[in-house]
Amino acid sequence: MNADVLEIKTEQLLKTKKRSQLFDVWLRLKKSKAAIAGLLLIGIFIFMAILAPVLVSYEDDALKMNVRVRLQTPGSDHWFGTDELGRDIFARIVYGTRISLFVGIISVSIALTLGGTLGAIAGYYGGKIDNIIMRFLDVLLAVPAVLLAITIVAALGASMLNLMIAVGVSNIPGFARVVRAAVLSVKDQEFIEAAKAIGAKDHTIILRHVLPNSMAPIIVFATLKVATAIMATASLSFLGLGIQPPTPEWGSMLAGGRSYIRDHMYIVLYPGMAIVLTVLSLNLIGDGLRDALDPKLK
Amino acid sequence: MRNKVLEIKNLKIRYVTDDGIVEAVNGIDMLIEKGRTLGLVGETGAGKTTTAMSILRLIPDPPGEIISGDIILDNIKLLEISENEMETIRGRLVSMIFQDPMTALNPSICVGEQISEAISIHQDVTKEGAKEKAREMLEIVGIPGSRMEEYPHQFSGGMKQRVIIAIALSCSPKLLIADEPTTALDVTIQAQVLELMKELKEKLEMSMLMITHDLGVVAEVCDDVAIMYAGRIVEQGNLEEIFKYTKHPYTEGLFNSIPNIDDRKAELIPIRGLMSDPYNLPDGCSFCDRCDYALDICQTEKPKKIYFSGTHFSECHLYSGNSDFQLNCGKK
Repeated sequence: MNADVLEIKTEQLLKTKKRSQLFDVWLRLKKSKAAIAGLLLIGIFIFMAILAPVLVSYEDDALKMNVRVRLQTPGSDHWFGTDELGRDIFARIVYGTRISLFVGIISVSIALTLGGTLGAIAGYYGGKIDNIIMRFLDVLLAVPAVLLAITIVAALGASMLNLMIAVGVSNIPGFARVVRAAVLSVKDQEFIEAAKAIGAKDHTIILRHVLPNSMAPIIVFATLKVATAIMATASLSFLGLGIQPPTPEWGSMLAGGRSYIRDHMYIVLYPGMAIVLTVLSLNLIGDGLRDALDPKLK
Repeated sequence: MRNKVLEIKNLKIRYVTDDGIVEAVNGIDMLIEKGRTLGLVGETGAGKTTTAMSILRLIPDPPGEIISGDIILDNIKLLEISENEMETIRGRLVSMIFQDPMTALNPSICVGEQISEAISIHQDVTKEGAKEKAREMLEIVGIPGSRMEEYPHQFSGGMKQRVIIAIALSCSPKLLIADEPTTALDVTIQAQVLELMKELKEKLEMSMLMITHDLGVVAEVCDDVAIMYAGRIVEQGNLEEIFKYTKHPYTEGLFNSIPNIDDRKAELIPIRGLMSDPYNLPDGCSFCDRCDYALDICQTEKPKKIYFSGTHFSECHLYSGNSDFQLNCGKK
């Protein structure tokens, strides 16, 4: 009887303890007001992206041209006004959220997978392999990221997939460097040597022992990079190399509205604000995460 | 002939760095029989850890390289097999306990998983089976199995060292290398951990190579002792021979540096000077600059092994012409 009670108590104790690591990070993140504001903002954007079909109609509001209501100022019919072709700007921003977030996340995933793999291999093995991989990436890094992305899109043709590839590839060197640095700081610790001493293979050591212990800087960098990727997407679309009209995308909305900026500035104001707010919120979250994941900074 | 578990013959290891060549291990021989414990004693930089790492073939290369010699573990010539074969030997035939338990465990994986990892690498078991065995190992080293899911930071130093012992022993290796396993622990925990290791060694019938600079630990757990200085074994023998019939001046110096519990006011007699520069070892005996008995020949010629019994030898010129020579043994 007594033993049972004790058993249950230890079980409970274990459960609270087990959760604690992630929970601790959340508690520290919660302390940062800026990070919470960022989380709220990005939450709103994600909410908009998911509920887009419920909020507005893609065909009728975001795509269909209606010259009778062109260039309307914001009002109760059209919250953010209409553009030069009579399309509802709010609807286009809502659908644009989907594209921006999707492209941002996918292109960062591409960069993280490829760059991370290269960086982990370079950092773990060191020596010649490290030199070859990093010098190659240095060459890639010498070309400005946006220029590189423009070249890739120009070569492959403008489409959403190519845009993601372009933004992803131009981010590979950055991720490789961050992952390599993180791996370097972990790989000489004794538990790595201990893992070797029990006969673990290299890939097991990298995947199970090195990477999980170098996650903190990688998570922070990835969060910040999603913001940059969203900006890059908007820039390329603004230049006509990304998402093609009439698909609603923030950057191409800016491009379309820029000739009307003098009399109808809301056409570019709202998409511009959408870009700024997404990027800002992601940066705030990134900064908050950096503090939360590194207890030494407290 | 008793069963040899580990035999090292004329092992030479050096590190090639930009500043020069460090001769870390200069031709040592070693023999550990089944069920015996050899204590490898020496000061920092004597080459103890390098010797141990060479048995696991984990010497970082570059800069380290094994120049010559043979390491034979359980009739396998370790220096001649491939890296893949070596991976199947590490952890199964030989495993290692590290000096600092605080850093030798992966902080992001719970301890149960770390033990079962070692098991599933070398044994053909299911995930559940490995977990069950891990729980068993944890209980063997005196930690309740219910703490399987906990992370290393939730354990104290002594507990962590127990976990590390559990990992090292999980595949019942023939040889356990313990690299200063108690240096980072306080004295009471030291005694517990040593007791545990001794007990498990007997239970699992393994041999052990105990690296330490604490002669107290040696007296506690070892059967044989090898005294290492500047990459050579300068004196070797069984426990009694080394402790009672000390032959080498360096060994004597080590004993003189231990506080005497019966006479607490007695001054310690440290060994004067520092260990000779490993970049530039002298031609003669490496210890002669610090030796109170040094002869002229010590400067110029390397001493040879002189046997006092079947097991006890010392590398010192003092005995070459005069086998009855006696050290002062602290009486100055």
